[in-house]
Amino acid sequence: MSGNFWQSSHHQQWLLDKQDLIRERQHDLSILAEDEYQKIFIFFASVIQTLGEQLKLRQQVIATATVYFKRFYARNSLKTIDPLLLAPTCIFLASKVEEFGVISNSRLITTCQNVIKNKFSYAYTQEFPYRTNHILECEFYLLENLDCCLIVYQPYRPLLQLVQDLGHEEQLLTLAWRIVNDSLRTDVCLLYPPYQIAIGCLQIACVILQKDHKSWFAELNVDIEKIQEIARYIINLFELWKTYDEKKEIQGLLGKMPKPKAAPQR
Amino acid sequence: MSTAYMMDYEFKMKTQNERVKVEDLFDYEGCKVGRGTYGHVYKGRRKDGSDSKDYALKQIEGTGLSMSACREIALLRELKHPNVINLIRVFLSHNDRKVWLLFDFAEHDLWHIIKFHRAAKANKKPVLVPKGMVKSLLYQILDGIHYLHSNWVLHRDLKPANILVMGEGPERGRVKIADMGFARLFNAPLKPLADLDPVVVTFWYRAPELLLGARHYTKAIDIWAIGCIFAELLTSEPIFHCRQEDIKTSNPYHHDQLDRIFNVMGFPHEKDWEDIKKMPEHPTLLKDFKKNNYVNCSLVKYMDRHKIKPDSKAFHLLQKLLLMDPNKRITSEQAMQDPYFQEEPLPTQDVFAGCPIPYPKREFLTDDDQEEKSDNKRQTQQQQQTQNNQQSQQQNQQNNQNNQQSNQDNHNTAKRVRLSAPQGHPSQVNQQQIPISQQQQEFHHQQMMYNNGQQQQQNFQQRF
Repeated sequence: MSGNFWQSSHHQQWLLDKQDLIRERQHDLSILAEDEYQKIFIFFASVIQTLGEQLKLRQQVIATATVYFKRFYARNSLKTIDPLLLAPTCIFLASKVEEFGVISNSRLITTCQNVIKNKFSYAYTQEFPYRTNHILECEFYLLENLDCCLIVYQPYRPLLQLVQDLGHEEQLLTLAWRIVNDSLRTDVCLLYPPYQIAIGCLQIACVILQKDHKSWFAELNVDIEKIQEIARYIINLFELWKTYDEKKEIQGLLGKMPKPKAAPQR
Repeated sequence: MSTAYMMDYEFKMKTQNERVKVEDLFDYEGCKVGRGTYGHVYKGRRKDGSDSKDYALKQIEGTGLSMSACREIALLRELKHPNVINLIRVFLSHNDRKVWLLFDFAEHDLWHIIKFHRAAKANKKPVLVPKGMVKSLLYQILDGIHYLHSNWVLHRDLKPANILVMGEGPERGRVKIADMGFARLFNAPLKPLADLDPVVVTFWYRAPELLLGARHYTKAIDIWAIGCIFAELLTSEPIFHCRQEDIKTSNPYHHDQLDRIFNVMGFPHEKDWEDIKKMPEHPTLLKDFKKNNYVNCSLVKYMDRHKIKPDSKAFHLLQKLLLMDPNKRITSEQAMQDPYFQEEPLPTQDVFAGCPIPYPKREFLTDDDQEEKSDNKRQTQQQQQTQNNQQSQQQNQQNNQNNQQSNQDNHNTAKRVRLSAPQGHPSQVNQQQIPISQQQQEFHHQQMMYNNGQQQQQNFQQRF
């Protein structure tokens, strides 16, 4: 579907408004500070990334899963579905849509168990609590909340084209690619079209590598203001990372996070 | 861990109450019109009477979200074109974990249309259709496929049953390409395509490169299938009809199907298809086939036997769609520019061009139909066996046109039963049970109306 971003559900339905996001998050932000909220999403982006790598998925699939995850919570409070369940559910759905091939249920659960035990024990002391039936039930809720919009456009392809146009620079591509991965820890994938995100990431990469491509950027005919907004989101993320020690803080944050409630007891 | 804690109770109740159920919105009980590997299709109406349109409700086979269900939903959610089936809505039934897709209802499809013409031919009752109908059908198929291809979507399973035609209503006579369950994006294959589904295209419509083990699907593969459908519309015979025992197989190489293609097209010369040497199954091809067996075969001769003149524009376009070398095969865009479409009669948006639609409406299936059909299948297999014996006796008489043709015709009828699952139909059974000997005779004597260029034109000038 890459031929047609402008007619896509991504463009027509899932480029959200900053004000919408703030409004939808009101409940969660009455419990969590804004940076705490972001830290929780940084954490789950890492969970999805690690799960994806363990399952040997391509970055494209991992990125799609992360966008599903962010889209779901852009419309719902963190308390509606435990993000520890939604994260693997997003991986499961994305792998089918992106035609990686269906991941077997047992392999998915085993991988979740191993990843939580071996890589995220600093966040979870208990073992991964969910089973196949939970994932399958959750998947229906996810699909409903995504309004069946499953094709997600990613910045990777436009990035490749841009770098090619610049006169292919391997180092620049590698760095910009990583910044696109990092951008999944911000809200940019909910707010901006992927080609703009690619340009924003490329611009940061140029600054870091001290490459002067100003005139090339000037000729791109894009909304510079948008690119700067994107860059600001990503630079803010880098700033946050400088002073943030996830291993120390995340357990507390997960404890504070709003959680699903059981049926009222009678 | 109880499920209560994975999902918020209040959230669950709220979404449950808001969720619209397919059975609350639509009447479709007892209105099954299709049954196949993909699931069940029902003809439905809105319960609230807010419109009186017919809808197609497809209940996807199995439970939950298979990969093909995911792909179908993901792609159809994005695609919008007059000649591609329009997904209106998805219903997820949480209790039985069934997935339902809501579409506009298409009264006809090319499988039924062609079948109708064959039956009419057998009964010596020619069908009256506008003389540009085949051209209009082909043009709209190409238009839809061009849209899919330019959006980097391959269909991969084009066959007459997947080409729907709208009945009476605002979209009268419009082609809708359907059954995109196997369709996939192909601009950046994450996995070689051949790894995903063991068999994708029904063998008759499979391009030769697929049969020779091509690892990647291409636009050209869809174009070949369109060529096959075009030929079938012109002649009402599946051009590459071939007996097949097993529809599902993981081995792409299929000797009999290749043999059939060479019998129609001739054996490919190296100069016509240079890269054939690179095909994975090329060594098998060299081992199994002798090109001398096919020296008298050509598409010109085949189509000429079916009264399609080799100097007609229809034939020239067909030849470009059915080029053996996928690299030389015409694209959908080029095909739409072909002189065939600039020649009178021009293609029309309503393929029936305002004339009465001669084809019957879809009939409802009962649950008994399936059993009936499997009985019928058994019977058909027996018939096939007899025919196979005939075939082997006749195999050395390839230059004997009559034999060859009657042979093909028999197989067509028989084979159609077996592959008809998706559109199984009570009325079919009767037609299929016409004694073979009788059918054979009739196929010899009577050419179908709309496939017979000359005769057809004369008739239509008289009648319309």
